[in-house]
Amino acid sequence: MSEEGNPVTPKRTTRASLSCTPNPEKVKSCKQQPLTLHDLAYGDESISLDDLISSLPGRRAQINELLRLLGPLDSPMYPVFVYGGASTGKTSSILQIFKHLKRPFVYCSCITCYSPRILFESVLNQLLLHRRNESNRYSSTKRCERPSDFVNHLQEALRNVVDSLKVRSSSKKSVLGKMVYLVFDNLELAREWDKASIILPFLFKLYDILKMPEVGLIFLSNASPDTYYSDTGYVEPLPVYFPDYTEDELRQILMKNQENPKLYSSFLEVVLRPFCRVTRRVDELSNAFSSLYQIYVEPLDDLGILPSEDMKRKLFSHLQPHIGPSLNDTFKVESRLSSEASAKTNKRKGIAKKIGVCESSDEIDFHMSACAKYLLICAFLASRNPATLDASLFDSTGGSNNRKRKRKSSEKSIERKETAEQELLLKGPGTFPLERLLAIFQCIVSVSECLPDEEAQGDGGLEGESWTNGLMSDVLLELSSLCNANFISKGGSCPLEGANRYRSMVSEAMALKVARSLKFPLAKYLYRGLT
Amino acid sequence: MGVENPAEQAQVLLRTRLCNPNFIFNMFSDSPDSNYSKLKYIMSSSVTEACNNSALLLGPRGCGKVATLEMVIKDLLQEYPDMICVIKLNGLLHSEDNCALKEIARQLCIENQLVFSKMASFDDNSQFVMAMLRECGLAHKTIIFVLDEFDLFTQGKQRLLYSLLDAMQSVTSQAVVVGVSCRLDADQLLEKRVRSRFSHRKLLFLPPSQEDLQKILQHALLLPMESGLPPQHVAAYNKKLLDTLSDDKFKDIIESLCNSDSTFNHLLRFLFSAVCQMDTKSGFLSLDNFKTALSSIQRHPKLEALQDCSILELYILVCLRRLEVKEQETTNFNSVMKEYKSVHDSVQTTDYYARNVCLRAFEHLLQRQLISLVDNRAHSQSVEFRPVRLLISSHELHQGLKSYRSCPAILHKLLDRGV
Repeated sequence: MSEEGNPVTPKRTTRASLSCTPNPEKVKSCKQQPLTLHDLAYGDESISLDDLISSLPGRRAQINELLRLLGPLDSPMYPVFVYGGASTGKTSSILQIFKHLKRPFVYCSCITCYSPRILFESVLNQLLLHRRNESNRYSSTKRCERPSDFVNHLQEALRNVVDSLKVRSSSKKSVLGKMVYLVFDNLELAREWDKASIILPFLFKLYDILKMPEVGLIFLSNASPDTYYSDTGYVEPLPVYFPDYTEDELRQILMKNQENPKLYSSFLEVVLRPFCRVTRRVDELSNAFSSLYQIYVEPLDDLGILPSEDMKRKLFSHLQPHIGPSLNDTFKVESRLSSEASAKTNKRKGIAKKIGVCESSDEIDFHMSACAKYLLICAFLASRNPATLDASLFDSTGGSNNRKRKRKSSEKSIERKETAEQELLLKGPGTFPLERLLAIFQCIVSVSECLPDEEAQGDGGLEGESWTNGLMSDVLLELSSLCNANFISKGGSCPLEGANRYRSMVSEAMALKVARSLKFPLAKYLYRGLT
Repeated sequence: MGVENPAEQAQVLLRTRLCNPNFIFNMFSDSPDSNYSKLKYIMSSSVTEACNNSALLLGPRGCGKVATLEMVIKDLLQEYPDMICVIKLNGLLHSEDNCALKEIARQLCIENQLVFSKMASFDDNSQFVMAMLRECGLAHKTIIFVLDEFDLFTQGKQRLLYSLLDAMQSVTSQAVVVGVSCRLDADQLLEKRVRSRFSHRKLLFLPPSQEDLQKILQHALLLPMESGLPPQHVAAYNKKLLDTLSDDKFKDIIESLCNSDSTFNHLLRFLFSAVCQMDTKSGFLSLDNFKTALSSIQRHPKLEALQDCSILELYILVCLRRLEVKEQETTNFNSVMKEYKSVHDSVQTTDYYARNVCLRAFEHLLQRQLISLVDNRAHSQSVEFRPVRLLISSHELHQGLKSYRSCPAILHKLLDRGV
């Protein structure tokens, strides 16, 4: 609810337009004056068709198609469904088109309006020219939760807007026209909503329900229309497809706003092709290139220099060793980074964190208590090893190397092991009850107590048994915080036992890293060995 | 507006026509055995003879059920002013009994200039509706209930349907209940007590026949002489259009359009798209306009998504397909990676990337809906382990690879060779 303080300006920026220069005047003016009908359209600044097309490289055909579907002033239109992969310029194109046409429209994204109610209220607020601020305690004009209320309010609001638009266009030459357009962005998210089976058909049928030819509906989605299943179907909107950018178009886009285009284009010549084989998304590529470009220009003193053939060759040979690794760790920096590249990890960490649990370099990037580390390892072991082997793995002698070797010798057991491995790959980590985790924990801790040069981080003074007992309550606390951090997931309770079951979510690399930091011989305790 | 480009003016006119379903279905109102006349007969008899009636309009989506009904209601309102009160409900909006009754009360209040109370309870509202039914019956005013998406009203206890149809059993009331549904078995969804009160009049709406199609095309696209457009432009336009319509190639286009979906709405969308393609300089509709309209309407989202994939994503798809050929029961990211590795071991490719990168490509595929998770329940597992399946057929994959601009030849081989 809180992210839509000001309904006009912040929502109408896209990633592409954010990088352009914002217009501070407009922001100021619309904070002070009450909203007028003109605020539904883009204000004074307008762009010509040529600017529109050149500002969005590679989207000429799509923009023309959309312009044709929107038609000349005051012409009614069928609902349009714009779809295409992520970061293909759907939202920017639509918004820029409306900037060009200067027609009134209402923009709502299902990202910020994450529930039907917020979506409905956001549409109505914009149509009723209502701005949520301190004086109205950030409330919406109308409260509506149900689609039926929404339709009633919407009809009323639209009729008002259309009527005043009509008055305007008849009295003086106004560019606004009589049409109002509703744009629903990120519609694919609405599929996950609770009442998606009602909301989606409703939105698609909105045009028929409203029965107002002055309303144009535009849906934006990154999922294709065939993925919107509905059991009794609906009349489909007109599809407009935004394909992913080709290599040439990517080059054009990435070349935009570069300080030294010559240098950058020589850089792109080197990296674009191999990276395109992995991903063709602009956002990912530009992230990857920004750090690579830093490496590329490292030997140069003057960034404004025009590169000669000779220099290009030199720069290329400087960059070449970095291309291969960074192809393999775009966004996720991996452990087998070469030493000189690891100096760069700080720069890339921001990228890595965006994607998921970051597992960069040999060190763990976050602090964890020794107890939590042990728990993590225990959970990992409990998830990977069959429960029946616990006794033999953790018997008093500690470790079961001899037995394992014996078993390896027979061919049949190798076969069995292979199928079991296969199973592990398919099934993933298994679940385990809390008691098993605690038992393993106790065994491991008592074993590692015996090992020399262990427990340098304190706690070492206490004797084995009492130490673990003293920690028992903390262990449960640590466990719950590990669960919260999603290192261990707490599954549903087992129908027979009734107790909660847990599952380790960490990858093998991560577990190994943790074990290494404790100097714990993890491989010794893994039944199937490491993959 | 002033006198602008006649082509643009004509385009606006055509767009307005195509976006207005009543215009299209007007042409069917004159024939005696059309659904229009049947429906009109049923409803007007109820108005004139003061009896209750109910009917179901069934047929696939986009065949003009609602449009015909609206036309009938419009005509009746003209013929018998002040004797009809129309209440419109939509199953998508009002499938809940409480909400539906409130909406009925609200619309009744608006029609009769009464004050509607938002706070009224279900009981209040239902009493109010019954009282209104009685009053209207005494005043010989017919209430027409239009229930769009009728099948959705049959969910739940069907209290609304029961109370409406039950009220119509009495002599005093005068009402028509018209249900509109795209489910042909809509009357089978009714409970026994509701069904026995229903009149079982059903009107079936079908997609247009060949002759109708031709009629619609001319009806929708020909420009009228008396529209303020320059007459010589209209004449030239109409002549060109008639030439195009009689062209054999055009007939092929229409045939391929109808092969996939022959409903009115589909046709109208196609025509709308063609009109949008119209060249605003000359202002004529050419055969090319129709061709581009056809290709923009008949899309193949899966093939398009395949064209959007990167090479690595194609590798993953091919690996998944190979696993499918091997008849592995369940596949997940790990088994794909194993296959990917074995492929790489057998034929050395340059496109061998780290697991992380592959996982991201895999997630892209999930996002593109070329593959999907088999079940959405097991959220406790991470993506790598959850079973997935391919959402495209091997034929589509073949076709997609063939039309991919720079597809590595090895991928074709891997796909063909199977194992």
